[in-house]
Amino acid sequence: MPGLGRGWRRRARVAVGTLGAVLLGGLLWEGYKAVGDPDGSTLFGVRLLPRADDAAMPHLGEILGRLTEPELAGGEPVGLVVLRAAGFTLRAVAVGFAVAVLVGGLLAVLMQRFRVAERGLLPYVVLSQTVPLIALAPVIAGWGGQLSIGSRPWQPWMSVAVIATYLAFFPIAVGLLRGLQSPAPIAEELMRSYAATWWHTLLKLRLPAARPYLFPALRLAGAAAVVGAVVGEISTGTRGGIGRLVVEYAREATTDPAKVYAALLGAALLGLVVAGAVGLAELLLTPGRRASTR
Amino acid sequence: METGAVTDRTPDAVTDPVQVEAVVDRAAGAVVDRVTPRRGRPAQVGRPGRPVEPGPAVELTGVTKVFNPGRPDEVTALRGVDLTVGRGEFVSLIGPSGCGKSTLLRLVADLVPATGGTVRVADRSARQARRELAYGIAFQQAGLLDWRTVTRNVELPLELRGLSRRDRRTKAREMLDLVGLADFAGHYPDQLSGGMQQRVAIARALAVDPPLLLMDEPFGALDEMTRERLQDELLRICAGKGTSTVFVTHSIPEAVYLSDRVVVMSARPGRIVEIVDVALGERTEATRQSNAFFAGITRVRQALRGTSPEAPA
Ligand SMILES: Nc1ncnc2c1ncn2[C@@H]1O[C@H](COP(=O)(O)OP(=O)(O)OP(=O)(O)O)[C@@H](O)[C@H]1O
Ligand SMILES: [Mg+2]
Repeated sequence: MPGLGRGWRRRARVAVGTLGAVLLGGLLWEGYKAVGDPDGSTLFGVRLLPRADDAAMPHLGEILGRLTEPELAGGEPVGLVVLRAAGFTLRAVAVGFAVAVLVGGLLAVLMQRFRVAERGLLPYVVLSQTVPLIALAPVIAGWGGQLSIGSRPWQPWMSVAVIATYLAFFPIAVGLLRGLQSPAPIAEELMRSYAATWWHTLLKLRLPAARPYLFPALRLAGAAAVVGAVVGEISTGTRGGIGRLVVEYAREATTDPAKVYAALLGAALLGLVVAGAVGLAELLLTPGRRASTR
Repeated sequence: METGAVTDRTPDAVTDPVQVEAVVDRAAGAVVDRVTPRRGRPAQVGRPGRPVEPGPAVELTGVTKVFNPGRPDEVTALRGVDLTVGRGEFVSLIGPSGCGKSTLLRLVADLVPATGGTVRVADRSARQARRELAYGIAFQQAGLLDWRTVTRNVELPLELRGLSRRDRRTKAREMLDLVGLADFAGHYPDQLSGGMQQRVAIARALAVDPPLLLMDEPFGALDEMTRERLQDELLRICAGKGTSTVFVTHSIPEAVYLSDRVVVMSARPGRIVEIVDVALGERTEATRQSNAFFAGITRVRQALRGTSPEAPA
């Protein structure tokens, strides 16, 4: 079938493009190391370009190699430690992201349904994002300490998940609201002529029409959830995740710079996992032809 | 002066023998085929045996529509419109662009509220009629959902009425055959030409077998041959099911060919200047060449001449 062939060719193109982008990134890194000033370039005392020495920018081979070597003498390999930490953080990211989809989605639907809600809520939704995370994290952790879910006590990773939610619900609420409001007036009139209920109009018209707005919003939200979880771990002092690992390894940056970058690779991996999940959801929820021609 | 020109007659008031016959024919069809779907219950598509309901299909009394009242961009789209469309009757609206034809249709459909006067559909308020799914509508623009295939666009109103998947497929198939788009069932709207999209919208409006059909320039984007074929199909469907129809067009021949009565409107403010009785009886190959047809065209043209701003009144 030509359609299927085109689908696979597209997928191959995407794969080659992704690989190319990674290679290009690597080349830029090593290229800058090769030509850049080891002490960085400054102009009138302002540093324009970063240092290119091995302490600030270890060779890529060294970073990748560091993944397989033990953390400390006789310990587990760094790669394994990073993976385990990424797995720990992923739980907070996933739960935080899921709750953000729920909260952001409900807010968007509510704001679409009631103009009053839009006028009353939207300023607070926007305002919520201006509160500095550093100030918020200890407050959330403090509240969490006094809560329990059923008989199970509140756990530190749950505070981290709440922080991830706090950052991630915003793009979803704003993007989905925009999408729910996107159908042309004529389409709304059509549903009205069918005497369709609000619920049916949501299911058959607004939600499908919102897809082109929703998926970019979900990508933003995914990135925000990862950032929120990593920063949340750091500012609440939660152990076991990537955030903590970055802080720990950063202390050894002068003696073992490759290790910091290895931990950052773990955070990047989290971002990839979330982006992949959103991409998969988009593939499944978009009519076939569209997915294969775009 | 304004009302003096209006010859608003219900079908039972006609005296022309040919027209009487046509009306009787339609009424007989109506007894067999009348469809009045109720909310919450699946529509009985094409099921015969419903009794004909009393009262006209549409009744407008002194209807006025003002957009944006009290603002600088205030527009009086319609003023003092009286119009009655009998059961099973085919009425066309014709008039210069911007004279309020679409607005009149949207008032009947309860998509915009009237500023003054009353709009009744099938002996109910327009609102009640809309809630009871008393009409099917095809807008001036196709208004298809571009993430749904052609078939699924036609199925949309059937879906909302709770028809089973199989019944929907069958009905959509039948309607797409009718408008000559069976080969495009799996395509998406943006893969179709404007005229094809318009035909999908017609199929969608007809799919529910509405007792009242509201059509806004549905054949505007079609070539002459397709247009004539669809005109005949539309007449066949409306006669067969006793459908009452309000049909907006810019084509005088089309209005005359299709209609029992042609409503001629003028702009600013939009009002009815004349209602021309046509009724060509049984349409055949010869009808488009008949004297009655040309006579009808002449009468509508004369009525329209008075409405155009540049012509002397
Ligand atoms: N939603 C609206 N808001 C404000 N004014 C409107 C609106 N809809 C229509 N009008 C005005 O009402 C008048 C009649 O418009 P309408 O669309 O009914 O004309 P029409 O007879 O269908 O014209 P055409 O033949 O070009 O389709 C126009 O002057 C238009 O500007
Ligand atoms: Mg119009």
